[in-house]
Amino acid sequence: MDKKQDTNEKRNILSRFFSVFSRLGKNIVNGFKNFIQRFKDGSIGTKLSHVFLGAGNLYHKQIAKGLIFLILEVGFFVLMILSPQINDTPLGFKSIGNFFTLGTEAGDIFNPTDNSMLMLLFGVISFGIIGIFLAIYKANLSSARKADLDVKNGKNPTTFKEDIAALFDSRFHIAMLTPAIIGIITFTLLPTIFMILIAFTNYDAQHPAGQVLFDWVGIENFRAIFNGSGEISVRFGPVLAWTLIWAFFATATNYIGGILLALLINRKGIKLKKIWRTIFILTIALPQFISLLAMRNILSEYGPINSMMMNLNLTSEPIKFLATANSAWTARFTIIMINIWIGVPYTMLMTTGILMNVPKDLYEAAQIDGATKRQAFFNITVPYILFVTAPYLITSFVGNITSFNVIFLLTGGDPVVPGYVAGETDLLVTWLYKLTIDQSEYNVGSVIAIMTFIITATATLFSYRRSKSYKEEDAFQ
Amino acid sequence: MKKFMVLAVMSFILLFGVVGCGSASPLLIWVGAESVDFYSDKMEEYLTDYTDINGEEFPYAVRVVGVDSSTSAATFLDDTDAGADIFTVPHDNLGKLIAGSSAIAPIQSAALLNQINVDNPQSFLDVIKGTVTGVEYTFGVPYVAQSLILYYNKQFVTAEQAQTWEGIWAAAKTANKYALTITATDGFNNSFLLLASRASDHYTSLKLYEGGIQEECYAQGDDTISVLKWGQRFFTDPHGAKAPSDSGWEVELSDAISLSTIGGAWHYEAAKSALDTNLGIAILPTFTITGPDAYGTIAAGTVFQSGTFADTKMFVMKKNSEKAEYLEDILVFLSDKDVQEESFEQAANLPAYKNASTEFSAFEAGTPEAALAKAQVEMFAWGISQPFGFNSRFNTFFYSKGTPDLILEMLENKDGTFSTNQAIIHQLIIIESLWKTGLRPE
Repeated sequence: MDKKQDTNEKRNILSRFFSVFSRLGKNIVNGFKNFIQRFKDGSIGTKLSHVFLGAGNLYHKQIAKGLIFLILEVGFFVLMILSPQINDTPLGFKSIGNFFTLGTEAGDIFNPTDNSMLMLLFGVISFGIIGIFLAIYKANLSSARKADLDVKNGKNPTTFKEDIAALFDSRFHIAMLTPAIIGIITFTLLPTIFMILIAFTNYDAQHPAGQVLFDWVGIENFRAIFNGSGEISVRFGPVLAWTLIWAFFATATNYIGGILLALLINRKGIKLKKIWRTIFILTIALPQFISLLAMRNILSEYGPINSMMMNLNLTSEPIKFLATANSAWTARFTIIMINIWIGVPYTMLMTTGILMNVPKDLYEAAQIDGATKRQAFFNITVPYILFVTAPYLITSFVGNITSFNVIFLLTGGDPVVPGYVAGETDLLVTWLYKLTIDQSEYNVGSVIAIMTFIITATATLFSYRRSKSYKEEDAFQ
Repeated sequence: MKKFMVLAVMSFILLFGVVGCGSASPLLIWVGAESVDFYSDKMEEYLTDYTDINGEEFPYAVRVVGVDSSTSAATFLDDTDAGADIFTVPHDNLGKLIAGSSAIAPIQSAALLNQINVDNPQSFLDVIKGTVTGVEYTFGVPYVAQSLILYYNKQFVTAEQAQTWEGIWAAAKTANKYALTITATDGFNNSFLLLASRASDHYTSLKLYEGGIQEECYAQGDDTISVLKWGQRFFTDPHGAKAPSDSGWEVELSDAISLSTIGGAWHYEAAKSALDTNLGIAILPTFTITGPDAYGTIAAGTVFQSGTFADTKMFVMKKNSEKAEYLEDILVFLSDKDVQEESFEQAANLPAYKNASTEFSAFEAGTPEAALAKAQVEMFAWGISQPFGFNSRFNTFFYSKGTPDLILEMLENKDGTFSTNQAIIHQLIIIESLWKTGLRPE
């Protein structure tokens, strides 16, 4: 039965995958047909607006709107043709050419070198500007077409005031979403594209931007993961393995520990519940990095724990728990233990809230049906907690894959692996930090960032789509 | 009225905007964070002198800003347009600054070049030059010197014992302590064995990018192997040397877990804070090769002197600075030997000036700071300037490709892996390859 379900699910995924492409193709064909048809059916103004933006609006005496489109078109072409220079690097059409060459002028002691990094960045920005212009172009055509239709239907084309008013009424969603979309494109999408593109260049310590030109190298940096004797090929596997082990145990221990603690504190018969909760919440109130640094000092070779153990004759010499540990697993185990102390209160707090909100009638119904307390716990409490906390569990797992603070502050990625940058406790993200900030190996860092993204995105999508929270969204409503 | 108010406010903003855009940016100077006050005062003095000599005010405002000099080159390269017109860097950062077409300007003023050549020791003159597109230029103006010296605990170690590692080691055995905790395992602060040379004649077979050539690295000489074998005994003995723990070398020094450490002037305040009146300062100790350490041509009984990188911090100028015409004159003033002496007295900066120890009266003050300076100057006789400034790769290959860890691994010899000569030589071959190519041998 399960196998059959799995096969069906795979078929569904495949058919959805193909239908996406099929729909995309249809949309492109239809869009092109509409474009031709609109040109044929449109007024002179609409026809002109295919070249002069805003002409359709101006034709229908929508002066302000038409002028805005026209100004945007003029602004776009002025920017693109004049290609103004920022830090000696042009933006505009010239930057499109530079995007492909990444600079040609090697410079000398008295003359500047083309800045390949800025050329790449400005190329991406220029493509973004072209994309935004195409969206404006489409909006211009739609607006001209709408004005044509209004006239055809015997209505007056809308005035500028009416358009503005509509933005705060029937088209309020557009007014609200536009700044957010612009923000996402500017601060998330473009930097992400820029970062991805760096993975296909040789931008590293030997090619500092503005001093030495760098170039496109195809998938060479990705190949380096699997070939050669360099840092990335030797250390990628062990670092990835430890990252996944860490993410699993850091998530599981905090999750289970937090739930158990919450159940314990919420048990009938436990006195001073509020005080217990407050004590645990206090650890949240303290900035995490202070807690981590305190733990590092407490566990250091000549810190209080070791001194106490030696004074009690439990050990003859200090135990190395963290960065200088003799075994990688000692350091890893210690980190996971410290992480429990830091992370459990969060889960406890959340679970406490959930426990207080489990519908009482479920327990009453179970009691009437003769269920024992144990049965009620495993058949009502546990499924309820799991249902509500599944998204938290997934985000927590993904968050732990990219958990920087804990590793960086406790061990800095050490114990060292002689001859390599990545230490025994480095996660992908701390390794990425060392490679980029300390070593200026931006291209390799970018490859690791892409791999980290693929892992986290896959883990998130896979686990969330299989969770009950996703499949049975309305179950507890 | 409302419209009038809005117009007035808009005009006000516009006016200030225009005025703001029109004002020139100040001439920016980055110095070590510990010296900001000193160089700010000096620049005020320079501006006054400029007005007196030229009969007009200096055309730019001047801002002196404190930076971490070890990262100033990287900060500058991150955004050269926002970088300072004059800034301080350790000389071994020169390679990354002049890579390709260079981000800094060469020195062209005859007056400044003459002052540099007259005032500085040859070892500094060798490392402030670089080749860009086939032509050699002078880029740096040395003004501060630095080398590693010994900080030790006078409560347990006598001045006589502090002259040899064996003396400190014996004191550690008596007191049931460690003899030495190194401050870091980074290849600079733990380089005292690698850079050691024979005390009788300064001989060492070690080659690090000799003549600025990438292939000219060698670490398999008999003396290097003997020294490392001695070091292996030192680092594996329960009362010998050790890498710093998670607690940090400062704690180990103040809690008398270790009796000494090796550090530069930048470790002085921490060492003083850890040992207070028990702080002793000396040049790095010697050590004697014993029977088990002797290898090849190096006989038992040969005395070696611990070595150090003896470096300079230098001022460099931004390439294509719009204030370029004023920068070299400022540097003539800031690197003048009198200013260097004042800098030593007021900011404890060890002068780069070659005759400082004999000419500067402040060296005879009898203070711990003077002792610190004298020890550093003495160590210059046993030091080499970091030869990494010729090319940015050298710095990366020496420090960042893991060779310091490989050397420490050999010294600590945790699993007995490096107990044979072959194992040591094999590790040294890997180290040499990393120095030369950044890669392990196939």
